[in-house]
Amino acid sequence: MRNFLVGLGGFQLLLGVSQAVTHTFDWNVTWVTANPDGLADRKVIGINNQWPLPLVDVNKGDRVVVNMHNGLGDKSTSIHWHGMYQEDTNDMDGPSMVTQCPVPPGSSYLYNFTVNQNGTYWYHCHTDYCYPDGYRAPFIVHDNESYFADSFDDEMVFSMSDWYHELMEDIKPEFMSLYNPTGAEPIPGSFLFNNSISQSYPVQAGKTYLIRLINISAFVGQYFWIEDHTMRVVEIDGVYVDETEADKLYLSVAQRYSVLVTMKNSTEKNYGMVMVADSSLLDTIPSDLLLNQTNWLEYSSTAAHDNVTMPVDDSSDIYPFDDITLVPYDRVELYENPTKTLELTVIMENLDNGEGYALLNNISYTAPKVPTLYTVQSAGDLATDATVYGDYTHTVVLEKDEIVEIILSNQDTGTHPFHLHGHNFQLLDRYPAWGADFFDYDAGTTFATFDADNHTAFPTYPARRDTFVLPPGGYFVIRFKADNPGVWFFHCHIDWHLMQGLAMTFVEAPLEIQEELSITTNQRDVCEAAGVAWEGNAAANTEDYTDLKGQNKPPGFIPPGFTTRGIVALVFSVISAVIGMIAITIYGVSDLKFTMTEVGLGDGATTVTPEGEVSAYRD
Amino acid sequence: MVNVFAVQVFFIVFRECLEAIIIVSVLLSFLKQCLGQPNQDQAIYKRLKKQVYVGSIVGVILCLCIGAIFIGLFYGLGHDAWSTSEDLWEGIFYIIATVMITIMGLALLRINKTKQKWRVKIAKALVEKGHGKSRWMRSDWGRRYAMFILPLITTMREGVEAVVFVGGVSLGYPATSFPLPVVTGIIAGILTGWLIYRGGNMMSIQIFLIASTCVLYLIAAGMFSKAVWSLQYYQFEVGVGSDVSEEGSGAGSYNILETVWHVNCCNPETDNGWDVFQAILGWQNTGTYGSIISYNIYWLFIVACVSWMMYEERTGGAGLAVKFWKAMAHVPGLKRLANKKLDGMNIEDDSAVQQVNSTMFHEPEVVEMTVQAK
Repeated sequence: MRNFLVGLGGFQLLLGVSQAVTHTFDWNVTWVTANPDGLADRKVIGINNQWPLPLVDVNKGDRVVVNMHNGLGDKSTSIHWHGMYQEDTNDMDGPSMVTQCPVPPGSSYLYNFTVNQNGTYWYHCHTDYCYPDGYRAPFIVHDNESYFADSFDDEMVFSMSDWYHELMEDIKPEFMSLYNPTGAEPIPGSFLFNNSISQSYPVQAGKTYLIRLINISAFVGQYFWIEDHTMRVVEIDGVYVDETEADKLYLSVAQRYSVLVTMKNSTEKNYGMVMVADSSLLDTIPSDLLLNQTNWLEYSSTAAHDNVTMPVDDSSDIYPFDDITLVPYDRVELYENPTKTLELTVIMENLDNGEGYALLNNISYTAPKVPTLYTVQSAGDLATDATVYGDYTHTVVLEKDEIVEIILSNQDTGTHPFHLHGHNFQLLDRYPAWGADFFDYDAGTTFATFDADNHTAFPTYPARRDTFVLPPGGYFVIRFKADNPGVWFFHCHIDWHLMQGLAMTFVEAPLEIQEELSITTNQRDVCEAAGVAWEGNAAANTEDYTDLKGQNKPPGFIPPGFTTRGIVALVFSVISAVIGMIAITIYGVSDLKFTMTEVGLGDGATTVTPEGEVSAYRD
Repeated sequence: MVNVFAVQVFFIVFRECLEAIIIVSVLLSFLKQCLGQPNQDQAIYKRLKKQVYVGSIVGVILCLCIGAIFIGLFYGLGHDAWSTSEDLWEGIFYIIATVMITIMGLALLRINKTKQKWRVKIAKALVEKGHGKSRWMRSDWGRRYAMFILPLITTMREGVEAVVFVGGVSLGYPATSFPLPVVTGIIAGILTGWLIYRGGNMMSIQIFLIASTCVLYLIAAGMFSKAVWSLQYYQFEVGVGSDVSEEGSGAGSYNILETVWHVNCCNPETDNGWDVFQAILGWQNTGTYGSIISYNIYWLFIVACVSWMMYEERTGGAGLAVKFWKAMAHVPGLKRLANKKLDGMNIEDDSAVQQVNSTMFHEPEVVEMTVQAK
């Protein structure tokens, strides 16, 4: 597999980049059985009856055409090309109900876009929590003009992933449940490295490798390092950065790193590549879940393959390289003077069905009845009015080329890797930084907030990426330029949190989208097959775009304190108690009539005037 | 507060002590009035008085034994089982405690009526002579030692009630929370009983009894409600599969679908002061349909019971126990027992009393006193 990939890469290098190629794929998405960790057979989503899925390997400037047929038979699907900017091809981005309709069983969707960027990406299903069922794979764009193109001899791609032994459709009802009030995320059954575990990867002494690392997990971030080897970071999320040494990396879900690693000159020992799951995300750690895994850079197949011993007991004591310190190779300067500043707060809480939800500024994202892109295309001039996109898609309309600043605060105790479609963004500030203080606010009692008038200086050339980790109880500040008309999803890439609604939508230059794109017959057919409206506002109203009656809504908020029924119940309880005590009192007082004939306690008997008829006892 | 002083425990112990003391003291004063006059047979009086004391003490000792066994079994065998599903057991014990309190609580309000019963019993014991070769055959053993058996059963019953209650309630409390209320409850109960016996007049005693009975039933209603609440909560806990109470207050700590109100404060489990409120009035910061409905139904049930009993008294209808034994009298084999029971219950039967009066209460002073009382 690896050799095949390396060979393919080398072959394309020979062809040169100037020659743009069209890669056409016919993909039939089907269920297959796989057992990548050797622990359990399970149904996974394969392509053309294969799993692991094909690695897409193209050159900058190439065109990718994928005719995806949904052969699953029982669930809808789509593909998001993670990290692709999709300039002028917003409808190829892939998230269901954002830029397209979910592709129902039996339907096909044509993805067709040009790759005008380079680096390490991946593709995955983006319809109702489907990619953790195995529907995810690397997407590599080669570039023999990169500044480090001559600095390595060969390259390797390593994906990391959490792995569940149950189908997502079976896990979901347990996760989104009255009986999971804390919203505890399902615990994976194992962790995979390149869709396998504890493998050896042959290397040649003395050579330098470009190692592409991708976390294609649904949930768990991974720490990564190589025993006794220094990694030199040259790319993050498709953005080239100045070569920078790093001991240990943290890859959240959806993040990518390319690192240069030079092999030692001796072949006496094999060296471990260490992958440690971020256990701070796990509410419980089953005894049979292996958090640490060693794979080997195999200098010699006859040398020992020793597991690397953990330097720490808890993954939160590993201090990874801080990606905010990287400098982009292209030296794009800090975007100054943002015209739109969004202050967003992540809150996780229960709504009134008792299930856990995630909210950004008190809105839990709820998919509209019409994919937002199609609302843009059918709303005419009203497309610039955020109202038409509904109250629960959390849509912000952006003007062309404006500088957008997002200050994202976390009032939750976990990390949240946020991903923006269609862009990368500049990393301006983050608190607490990676290191000893990173988990300072994970108790959930106090939260750090960003002070616009008093903060650490923003970098002159901020690093850029498309997925950035929000610390527990902390914040980050990012900026991007709205230079890519389209409907772009901004969401936490932990699939469980996306399920809980931790997302919002940017509609960027909607009138330009209308000029660039029109809904194709294929797209319309998919919607009709899926039974989803392809025009109208968020409530599928085509008459009055500002009338949102019938739009999809999240459950209501839990009322604080007493509501009417609570007060009524309390009042009734008090009345019942009072009546009961009155009855007891009457009963008690009526006992005095029996004292008449009694030889009393003390002289009490004579002080009571008894009722006449009782005297009969003594007659 | 609850860590050192469980209010419910205090009140129940206090109440049970008080009940025992009142009954014993009533017996004593009754004996004194009937037989303790200077010109009466001091030997009989002393013998009966001794019976009362011995009966009470034996009752206390027996109850301590039963209590020790109960507590031993409770903690020795079952404590692990209790703690793993605390809410389930708490619910069950609270229901048992509620039933016991409910049945026993009203009886004390009929202390005067009960005294009538005893009068008949004692009179019979003194007058009637059974027929048979031995005491056992004559079956007058019970009557002869009525003054022993009555306090014995009373103290034992109250004591066992208290022990079961303390054992059951203590499930939810740390071990440190009940020595203090038990001791102070006993002291307060004895003290109050003595004060009542010494100083109070009939009216103030009755008022005191009514007030304490009201509080007792407030507690019982709260416990019943809490029992239902605990059982529901147990169900929720089983569903969640972890310790939900760790969540404290707020969303996620309760089953929203069952909830009528929830306030993110005033949690009796975690917030100071509200535990007292819960102990006396059954307060929960999460009111569920089950707990609120059961609270109201409990009170309605009490009102219905009281009304029924008063109706029976007024119309002269037979009490429930009488009805029960009357029905039993038709069952072959139980006939003798049932008739005996019925016989004992017949407080209207004044013949024995009159007989006693004519033979023993023949002192003019006594007659005058009672005439004046009319």
